[in-house]
Amino acid sequence: MNFDYTQLIPLLPEITVLTMACLVLVVDVYKTSKDSNLTYYLTQLTLVMAAILTIALPATETNRVFNGMFVADSMSDLLKLFIYIVSFMVFVYSREYLRAREMYRGEYFVLGLFGILGMMIMVSAHNLLMVYLGLELLSLCLYAMVAMQRNVVTVSEAAMKYFVLGALASGMLLYGMSLLYGATGTLDIVEMSNKLSTGDLSSSLIMITGMVFLITGLGFKLGAVPFHMWVPDVYHGAPTSVTLYIGAAPKIAAFALVMRLLVEGLGSMQAQWQDILIIMTVLSLFVGNVIAIAQTNIKRMLAYSTISHVAYLLLGIIAGTQSGYVASMFYVIVYAIMSMAAFGMILFLSRAGFEADSLDDLKGLNERSPWYAFMMLIVMFSMAGVPPLLGFWAKLAVLKAVVEVDLVWLAVTAVAFSIIGAFYYLRVVKLMYFDKAEDTNDFIAGPDMRFFLSANALAILGLGIFPGGLLSLCASALGM
Amino acid sequence: MYELIGLSGPQIVFYIFSSMLVISALMVITVRNPVRAALFLVLAFFSASAIWLLLEAEFLAITLVLVYVGAVMVLFLFVVMMLDINMVPLQEGFTRYLPLGLAIAVIIVFELSLVLGPENFGLEKFAAPAAHTADYSNTKAIGSILYTDYVYPFEVAAVILLVAIIAAIALTFRRRVGTKTQKPEEQVAVRREDRVRLVKMKAEKR
Amino acid sequence: MLEEYLPIWIFMLVGLGFGAVLLTVGFVLSPHRPDSEKLSPYECGFEAFEDTRMKFDVRYYLVAILFIIFDLEIAFLFPWAIVLDEIGWFGFGAMFIFLAILVIGFIYEWKKGALEWE
Repeated sequence: MNFDYTQLIPLLPEITVLTMACLVLVVDVYKTSKDSNLTYYLTQLTLVMAAILTIALPATETNRVFNGMFVADSMSDLLKLFIYIVSFMVFVYSREYLRAREMYRGEYFVLGLFGILGMMIMVSAHNLLMVYLGLELLSLCLYAMVAMQRNVVTVSEAAMKYFVLGALASGMLLYGMSLLYGATGTLDIVEMSNKLSTGDLSSSLIMITGMVFLITGLGFKLGAVPFHMWVPDVYHGAPTSVTLYIGAAPKIAAFALVMRLLVEGLGSMQAQWQDILIIMTVLSLFVGNVIAIAQTNIKRMLAYSTISHVAYLLLGIIAGTQSGYVASMFYVIVYAIMSMAAFGMILFLSRAGFEADSLDDLKGLNERSPWYAFMMLIVMFSMAGVPPLLGFWAKLAVLKAVVEVDLVWLAVTAVAFSIIGAFYYLRVVKLMYFDKAEDTNDFIAGPDMRFFLSANALAILGLGIFPGGLLSLCASALGM
Repeated sequence: MYELIGLSGPQIVFYIFSSMLVISALMVITVRNPVRAALFLVLAFFSASAIWLLLEAEFLAITLVLVYVGAVMVLFLFVVMMLDINMVPLQEGFTRYLPLGLAIAVIIVFELSLVLGPENFGLEKFAAPAAHTADYSNTKAIGSILYTDYVYPFEVAAVILLVAIIAAIALTFRRRVGTKTQKPEEQVAVRREDRVRLVKMKAEKR
Repeated sequence: MLEEYLPIWIFMLVGLGFGAVLLTVGFVLSPHRPDSEKLSPYECGFEAFEDTRMKFDVRYYLVAILFIIFDLEIAFLFPWAIVLDEIGWFGFGAMFIFLAILVIGFIYEWKKGALEWE
């Protein structure tokens, strides 16, 4: 068999991550000292190497290799880069937290790396088979990471719920895929969209049923209402470092999945999926913003906030225009940056035997440390969408995209709910600045975490003042 | 071909095994005894593999029996037979959630019957493939594309298996401290000086 | 194609027949004296002390799960072995990488001590 080995070049980042993950695994079992940081540094080195390779080998055009199963285009490059950056920060933030809870084990980092590999496969998948395999690789790592602290009751509950609902979602997704395969006779996403663009296949009952199952599966993975039940429990129950991991990078991969499946694959069925997504979005806006107000646990509150952010992310997809997709992509990246900083703050305030996950733990943060109170203020204002922070521009971009396609009522609904949502973000700010501190312990975080957390929050401010760069990056990634 | 009550041989076989599959699948979720449920699941797998044999997917049929019946179901049986779970409280919610479950089942069956009818997958849409001769090897057909055209998903499957190994060990394995195990290599490597100490001492006076 | 399965059909029929005949014969010919004591559980002549089900060491499952994973891996080897002369060195390399990835897992579990029974 003749195989063109230059096909492997676009896969180099994936190959690097795989090889290094295996290396980290072996190094970790052979290392002698238990506390050594070797595993951690190798993990971070892997991400840096992958980032360098991705930058050094940019996809100038859409490059499909392995019979079209793997695609490298500028969208996949940009999303992968942000997956590396976000994961890098996640590992930095998690370190002290893991160490204080005896979870500073090689498995956390190895599973994290394999999860990143799964996300990369998802981002570059141009075949339903690869979509599924990438998704399963990521999910398997996530289930295991959630369950790692197995002696804690909430953790086992979260892991169990996550696993059962995740398996159900995968089943739905597979069922949808099998129907699409039955109707079109191909697993290849590009071939599928070619078949759909001619003839009346795209309005046939079988394609619509397949698409509904597909969206159900995607909805579960994204955590959009009515498939959101697992989100608060998992975010709340999982160790905060794992919540941070789940909340940030996998959302970028899920966005890529929506782009590949709905936009690239089922693009000619846009009229059909638009309606379903609109219902999901409105429900998510309602649940995410209203129920979050009733939460006293900050992790649960942020979980509901995730649901509402997913709704905004879907707004851009609903618009169905190129600028809408750009806005969505911008939104998901901004969301990953913001959620990283928010969960990073919880990790920053936690220490051995103490989980700073109640809203009361934020009381009087200004007295304890004006600087970090300010950082949290930036994050909360940005999530609420206060100008000129990054979150505002992201919301503005998706709303503009929706208004452009004359769905003004949807934009108005989204704005109304974001005003309701602003209440619970501002409550956090009120607690930090106007209440007395209950907890007066010192922060244990090391200098690296302090640096990156501050940089993260300042990036929200800085990129918010100059949002053009990131936005044009997203636009050029989608060929605009 | 033999004709019996208007059905050809393969059709009769298909109906036998598919009704066995449906009945045993129903039994899995309705019988009270979990061990019986697991055994019915074994029967369901067997029936499914017989249907795959009818489709000339011999390798997959045998793999289904080998992996699911041979390994997965053994683990299942192991769990349900040994686990310290009282099944009665678990079944309490059954009647409470039955209406909802039935409603969902009815909706899904309705959807499927709309979609999977002959108008979408009938013989005029997809002509029946010609039967292969006896020397045709289905395993060979799989092998010739699995390791070449599908090499990328094949390697990703290996990675998923590796993650499964890591996850299983990370979640269930804990090294115990203080167990008294025999270490043969230490026993063999022992020298006289390690174990025997000759002490010279004076005889004590009575 | 069903004709080729004739021996298997005969085998299945004989198997089913044997099972059915033996059960019926046993049922018809054996004496029936039902007694509730005969059906009640017993433990060396005493009333049962506790439930049959008990807490079981999780390590048994670990061994079983690891077995399943390697069982699956073996299933991939069958078609490979049959077509190896057609797919050549490329197919050989593909399987080599596949096995190498799993060997890493094997090193990990060995070194971790998951295969030892302390």
